[in-house]
Amino acid sequence: MSNSDVNISRRSFVEKSATAAAALTIAPGMFLHTVAEAKPADQAVSSAVRWGMLIDTAKCASGCTACVSACNTENGIASHDRPRTDQQWIRKVTLRDKQTKHEISLPMLCQHCEKPPCVDVCPTGASFKRDDGIVLVDRHICIGCRYCMMACPYKARSFAHETVDATVDHQPRGKGTVESCTMCVHRVDEGGTPACVEACSEAEHGAMIFGDIKNPDSEISKQLLKHGGKQIRADLGLNTGVRYRGI
Amino acid sequence: MQQLNKRMHNTLITIAGLAMLVFSAFAFAGEKPSFAPKVPHPTNGSTECVQPEDEMKKNHMNYILHQRDQTMHQGIRTKTYSLKECINCHVPENSEVRFGDDKHFCSSCHNFAAVSIDCFQCHMDRPMKGKGTQGKNPHTAQATPTADKTTISTDIADTSKSVQDTKEAGNE
Repeated sequence: MSNSDVNISRRSFVEKSATAAAALTIAPGMFLHTVAEAKPADQAVSSAVRWGMLIDTAKCASGCTACVSACNTENGIASHDRPRTDQQWIRKVTLRDKQTKHEISLPMLCQHCEKPPCVDVCPTGASFKRDDGIVLVDRHICIGCRYCMMACPYKARSFAHETVDATVDHQPRGKGTVESCTMCVHRVDEGGTPACVEACSEAEHGAMIFGDIKNPDSEISKQLLKHGGKQIRADLGLNTGVRYRGI
Repeated sequence: MQQLNKRMHNTLITIAGLAMLVFSAFAFAGEKPSFAPKVPHPTNGSTECVQPEDEMKKNHMNYILHQRDQTMHQGIRTKTYSLKECINCHVPENSEVRFGDDKHFCSSCHNFAAVSIDCFQCHMDRPMKGKGTQGKNPHTAQATPTADKTTISTDIADTSKSVQDTKEAGNE
């Protein structure tokens, strides 16, 4: 490719960028954007977005496993009746205060950390974080060493011990690799919402909110601003994308 | 006598030569000679692939590999060079033929060329149009009440223990 094809002058670049910015900005700090708008399929994800979740433990019903079931169906995860080693992308956890006997129930999944320990330890680069904050395993280059499983403080990852008989075409999974919650990346890229969040909403609990935590106008950002959202093991300084209320 | 033999010998060689010429002319008159198996054409009746057939024969793996990394790492989900679209187009819907069978679109050549690929250890070898679930946005969609919820014992006081319900999911 010749240089002239790609080389626009610095001045014209600055001018065009300024025009584009002016078109988007209404007032300082206010931008026009739609939350649910899907990005064009040919566009790469951008770090202007960070996908996150806010889980309200007060609304999460103990005994309800709608999110777990929805995740398993969506991603074709089947049980081998071996609970210790079965794949598990999301699980329900019940916490009980020994003193007061007060119980809270919450879904535990990949926390999509800003500084993910699983990415730090991966020897092949299979464990990585997308620009929009979603932490994934590239199973094409995963060698199944399971370092990431040890590094994860949330026990969020599982190993596929058995051959997977694929039941869905949007989530290829296979034996010998590590897997975890993808925040339903195939849905998110098309403007959708993770299956667990959808199921929680359909079960009329509405305990889970999904959205862009970098966009101040999104529902999740408004809720976080109003009520705050705690990180589990905040002491590790991982800046998780999944936040909880009421813990 | 010897001369007659030699003449006969020459005549035979000439006839053989002519026959070879005629046969080769027939061979080249139709399609190009090829021992490779025929790749099944798309099921939608189209006879054109996303690139010319010769190009696809030689370089399909590069297109797919490039798309693979872009989709995985950058979320670019264009359909032109996606493996899923190869399958959607070339493998008949509700096909019983699985990868490994000589009749399967990919196997038809790969078996012949003895090139083993591991794509289908994870990816679907047949179209799943409409069978997979598609996302929708709950912020715009109406919440619909669902049927009964199962109750499970909550007597777990430790985060390391967890409750998992995979039977409910309806998977085999």
